[in-house]
Amino acid sequence: MTAIDPIVQHHERRNAIITRLLAQETILLVLTVIAVLVLASANERFLTARNLSREISLIFEVALIALPMTLIIITGGIDLSVGSIFGLSAIVLGFLWQDSGWPLEVAIAAALVCGIIGGAINGFFIVRVGVPPLITTLATLALYRGVALGISEARSARGFPDWFLGIGRGEFLGAPWQIWILLIGIVITWLLLSRTIFGRSLYAMGNNELAARFAGIPVNRNKWLIYVFSGFAAALAAVVFVSRVTTTRSDMGSGMELDAIAAVVLGGTSIFGGSGGIGGTLLGLILIQVLKNGLLLAGVRGDATSILIGIVLIAAILLNNFFQWLQVRLTANK
Amino acid sequence: MSDTPILELTGITKQFPGVKALSDVHFDVRPGEVHALLGENGAGKSTLIKVLSGVHKPDTGTILLDGKAVSFNNPREAQDAGIATIYQELSLYPELTVAENIFMGHAPRNRFGAVDWNAMMTRAEETLASLNIYDMDVRRKVGSLNVGNRQRVEIAKALSINARVLIMDEPTAALTESDVSRLFDIVRLLCERNVAIIYISHRLQEVFELADRVTVLRDGHFIDTQQVKDTTESALISRMVGRTIDNLFPKLESKVGEPVLQVRDLMREPFTRGVSFDLHAGEIVGLAGLVGSGRSELAQCLFGMLPAQSGEIRVFGKKVSIRNPAHAIKLGIAYVPEDRGTQGLVRAMSIRENTSMAILKLMSTGGFIKFGAEKKLAQKSIDMLNIRAYSPDQIVGKLSGGNQQKVVVSKWLASQPKILIVDEPTRGVDVGAKAEIHRLMSELAAKQGIAILMISSELPEILGMSDRVMVMREGRIIAEYPRAEVTQERIAGAMMAAKVDVN
Repeated sequence: MTAIDPIVQHHERRNAIITRLLAQETILLVLTVIAVLVLASANERFLTARNLSREISLIFEVALIALPMTLIIITGGIDLSVGSIFGLSAIVLGFLWQDSGWPLEVAIAAALVCGIIGGAINGFFIVRVGVPPLITTLATLALYRGVALGISEARSARGFPDWFLGIGRGEFLGAPWQIWILLIGIVITWLLLSRTIFGRSLYAMGNNELAARFAGIPVNRNKWLIYVFSGFAAALAAVVFVSRVTTTRSDMGSGMELDAIAAVVLGGTSIFGGSGGIGGTLLGLILIQVLKNGLLLAGVRGDATSILIGIVLIAAILLNNFFQWLQVRLTANK
Repeated sequence: MSDTPILELTGITKQFPGVKALSDVHFDVRPGEVHALLGENGAGKSTLIKVLSGVHKPDTGTILLDGKAVSFNNPREAQDAGIATIYQELSLYPELTVAENIFMGHAPRNRFGAVDWNAMMTRAEETLASLNIYDMDVRRKVGSLNVGNRQRVEIAKALSINARVLIMDEPTAALTESDVSRLFDIVRLLCERNVAIIYISHRLQEVFELADRVTVLRDGHFIDTQQVKDTTESALISRMVGRTIDNLFPKLESKVGEPVLQVRDLMREPFTRGVSFDLHAGEIVGLAGLVGSGRSELAQCLFGMLPAQSGEIRVFGKKVSIRNPAHAIKLGIAYVPEDRGTQGLVRAMSIRENTSMAILKLMSTGGFIKFGAEKKLAQKSIDMLNIRAYSPDQIVGKLSGGNQQKVVVSKWLASQPKILIVDEPTRGVDVGAKAEIHRLMSELAAKQGIAILMISSELPEILGMSDRVMVMREGRIIAEYPRAEVTQERIAGAMMAAKVDVN
């Protein structure tokens, strides 16, 4: 065999650099930095520790759900039921504590188990019955919400003890509890995805599930795990949310799945599976929240903010497509 | 056959950033001839076809059509000039009917400008009849046809636009024996009608059976054009690879040891119906059979992809029931699957990630991947198998077919198997890589005592590499020959005997 042509090698290296520079994460980072700078210069209250930590407790729920959502979308799946699991867990928590008189600690554990069961049911239909994730979780989206409504009968739980309310409103080492929980979640998911066999398997499954099976990867087990993880994260987010808003309602979390999916996809994770990562998802979350908050501080009305965010989402995707095209043009050699 | 070329290319050069894909290539094709185009993967065949069919514009050089200089800006212009291409991956719409596919883009219209469905059906039937195809329903959806029939639809489509030059890229790669002979009949029929055919194939015997002239490319350079009757198989091979390959099947004498895999009455309906055989350490057993005879399904049954319903499998004398691939890997079984694109590789991932995929447990501590060890493994594979890549982090999808196949093989060698099942190990692989893969298999058996079960549809490969040959038909092993007694005729006879033609 002849050696590899040094010119080719040089080109491959250059191409790798171009690919890196034009990756969606890079573009997103630049966009986020620009947004932060513009908003900070427009309003001195924006870039304050107080404002930022408040913002983080506001996006906590969506962020926590977006972490397992990233894993799921990387395998080429989707979980539309998380908003409903969120609502159901909140209702289960309030119902068991107030109506059934369970100790609050046990009710919290039950709410978390409820999320795990919700995810496991999704996993069962996806893995064992072979129903596509979109259909399965669209069905359980309706199902879980219905169960939540049935249990709550439009009543809400109130009057939680102070120690519980401290989770959602209190601080630890000078920062809201949400920041610490989220940080742990981010580190765990990031390590899982980028450093472990499990994470590697998810990418392989998203790119070519059949080849992953042929390589002995436990595809079915992995799918169960990510949907269970997703259900658990939704339930955990719900517990913290109930503590922050001090009440439970059966319509909590509706539409939350779409916020999470938007952040994941904006973050560069391919909706067809196989590529993406936690870093992108975080940037996606930050960009959306920075815009919401910044525009609010700038006195833009809520409906106008929604419109602007929609436009930014579309623009980000278009920009990404443009850079993808540019990348193909710059690196083309066949 | 006339001597004036219908299409003539002179001094074609095509440069891509960093790669000179074609340099000063000459090629011509005459009406009514089959002109074979040969070369290893990466030799420039695909680029030349793309220049001919209007996908790429050459940097320099001229294309003469009927003696007049032409320049195609896009594939449509080439098509309008009568040049049609049938690619390896057929470009049909599976949800549309045969007739709709044939007339895609130029459907007959009635006087109101709407599609004239009756005329379309009639003309589709006429076109097929002109190819001596009378057994195809033009109302059937293309997705329900087998590969051979789909290809016939593609040829009919080319004829419906009055193609005068037909380019066929590896047309027999996915065909069964009977479909191949039907294809050859159609090609000969087209030649009689003065269509010029450019035929690309890795199978040299097809070139000798079908072609009038043959052009060899190597590393983007034009080597020569010759009359097929003036050349030999080994002469063509040495021109393609630029050196002499003394032996395409470097079989080493090996000592056959203890039985490592014993299979009795293995059942997995509908494809595996009571299979019994032994596989010994150090031997290569060839498994021949027609497509659909159940060879790959047997392999997948042994590998746990399609777990057995009944029967007995013993690995090193111990009775096992193989439930899934991970279990098979643990038992020392590896399977190089038939289709590397869908089963063997994750093309979007790197060489490193692919070579370690089956042994991630060994490449990690506590679930965390050891990237250094992984990289070392990939580099070792690249060196050992001569994989042409600039780095272990190169994306597998960007390698040539032969090198991709080597990545699949290295993935399974990394699992250090005792029993290696290879399914069409050299399909779509150029002749140089083919010899290397054969040499490797031979060494694995002879020097490391690995037992190899080799499924292949290429009889020369079966004959050249096997210590023993088994023939499968309708889910059963129906014949077995030791190396000394096996002949092509015997295998073919056993394969075909009492064979019912199913679509």
